[in-house]
Amino acid sequence: MIGYAPGRSVVHRAHPYTPLVIASGLLLVAFAVRSPLAVWTVVAAALLFAAVAGVLGPVLRPAALLALPTWALLTVLHGLLGGPPHVAVGPLAFSVQGGERALVFGGRLAAILLAFLTALATVSPARLVEAMTVRGVRFGRIYLLVSTLTVVPRLRDRARRIIDAQQCRGLRLGGSPLARVRALGPLVVPLILSALAEVDEQALALDVRGASVDGARTPLETPEDHAADRAVRWGVLVLVVAAYAAKFLGRAP
Amino acid sequence: MTLRDLVVVRLGVAVNLVIGQVAAALLLPVYLDTIGTVLVAALVGWRAAIVAGLTSQVLNAVLSGNFTWLPFGLVQVVIALYAALAARLGAFRRLATAVPAGLLLGAVAASTSAPISYFLFGGVTAGGVTAVTTVLRALGAPLAVAVAAASYTTDLLDKTLVFALVAVVLRSLPRQMAARFPMLAR
Amino acid sequence: MSALLRFDGCGYRYPGAAAPALADLTLAVGGGEVVAVAGPVGAGTSTLLLVAGGYAPRLLGGTLEGTRVSEARRPAIVFATPWTQVTGLFQSVRGEVAFGPASFALPRERVLALTAEALERLGATHLAGRDPAGLSGGELQRVIVAGALAMEPDLLLLDDPAAELDPAGADALYGLLPRLAERGVAVLVATPDLVRAARVATRAVALREGRVVGDGPPARVLG
Repeated sequence: MIGYAPGRSVVHRAHPYTPLVIASGLLLVAFAVRSPLAVWTVVAAALLFAAVAGVLGPVLRPAALLALPTWALLTVLHGLLGGPPHVAVGPLAFSVQGGERALVFGGRLAAILLAFLTALATVSPARLVEAMTVRGVRFGRIYLLVSTLTVVPRLRDRARRIIDAQQCRGLRLGGSPLARVRALGPLVVPLILSALAEVDEQALALDVRGASVDGARTPLETPEDHAADRAVRWGVLVLVVAAYAAKFLGRAP
Repeated sequence: MTLRDLVVVRLGVAVNLVIGQVAAALLLPVYLDTIGTVLVAALVGWRAAIVAGLTSQVLNAVLSGNFTWLPFGLVQVVIALYAALAARLGAFRRLATAVPAGLLLGAVAASTSAPISYFLFGGVTAGGVTAVTTVLRALGAPLAVAVAAASYTTDLLDKTLVFALVAVVLRSLPRQMAARFPMLAR
Repeated sequence: MSALLRFDGCGYRYPGAAAPALADLTLAVGGGEVVAVAGPVGAGTSTLLLVAGGYAPRLLGGTLEGTRVSEARRPAIVFATPWTQVTGLFQSVRGEVAFGPASFALPRERVLALTAEALERLGATHLAGRDPAGLSGGELQRVIVAGALAMEPDLLLLDDPAAELDPAGADALYGLLPRLAERGVAVLVATPDLVRAARVATRAVALREGRVVGDGPPARVLG
């Protein structure tokens, strides 16, 4: 399941920035280290993160669905098609070095997916908006990140309706590649034009409510930022800096 | 950025996120997921287009769960800048100029994304591109070449179509709507 | 009753438009009035509201001629379609309605009080905890109107506000207008619903092709 899953874990109750910082930290450290062992330690940390947040089950399934095809391709690309030395695995010649690289890249993928899916599951958009408002993040940025997600389902519906309507008018979705490319116009252009036509009204509606790209607003349900939250975020920062320092000194694991 | 610009940027991001379903309905091997960015570049400008591109990258990751797309934000920035320049130079006024401009962008975009894919992810990006990479590799091409070639073929088609479509949209804008976008007058 | 809003020989042309949308407009509106604005499609009724609220030309571009003098400090406009007006930032109706007052940087308690009061006046208190994305058109429109009222506007402009509402909802909304006027708000409502408008309006203005062709008691102007 992808998306916010309400809960009462320590991660859910933390300040909304904290899970995001943890996930970003895991991503950055995953790219700093180089050995399969180190990368999969990061994966283990991501799994721990998900478990502490109580979302391990819900997060594993989409992570696996997203990762498995890529892992398969990585195995083929690096493992089977990699350079020497080779090791016989059944009837296939498997590249040892390629296998290690596949493990590293596959591990990075897994760590990123697990970490961010967990962050996604534990950060409530409403609390994030409030946290950003309190921190003085400009309204424009908040608006873009959050409000777009609400607009997407409507636009998807409209796209579907345009596809149906054009088909009723004789547009064919199949046929030669050229025919299909030609069909793009009658589908894409009306979608964009109809969306553009609403821009004035939407901008007006925002202006009416006193929205300005920069202004300060009254926060209503300020999420608490405990000392523990700040400590965790600083800890992640220190870890990331240390990992990259080690990397540049040539001593990354 | 005015409130109106903000709403146009939001539209660009939403279009980026949704347009893929149209391409999928037509079974075309392209994403077209930068069409909103290019549109914003032509209607508002390069700064707004960069915001649109980066926001699309983040939200795409959030919606699909595939956060490995995040490092490719750099490609969106490059696309935004190129599209704004192309718009300034009048590339979108005619299909005859939009198509070659899109083709060139395809090359530029692939040149930016291939190294990211190679160094960060071992040549693996999304399903389609990776499949091509694998085939080329199996045929004996070195990994770096396979990754680059795969990026190029998909990007050339994708970006050419994006530019062509944006040119058509801009030409189809009713006069009163077009008058609301000062960037178009140039 | 002093004029809150005054037009004198006013004309407005949208950007890139060949003909003016409004011409030769001379009109004064004061607090406590409920003015029904009527006219066929293209007559300029929506444009009149946009110019009255100062949204055109400020946000829409275009050119204004003549004079428009407004002493309204907090105009608010409500359109017909709720989906284009919702901010999309909130997962609760309460948050959506509070968005307006919160931008005035008022104290938190005041924002919440204004929100609750506005929801109550629209009969939408039961919707407070609901997600706006899950509401029907009629419910969402009531939330939108509540959002405008929560800002305590002194000039309220409504463009076909009951288009998405069922008959009972439309009656309730129009019935609200005289009560707002009693508090000194100047209300202008552009609508094709002449029956409901005539019931609550203190005055009617008829437009045709951007010009005023009637201004007076609803019974006379609206026929």
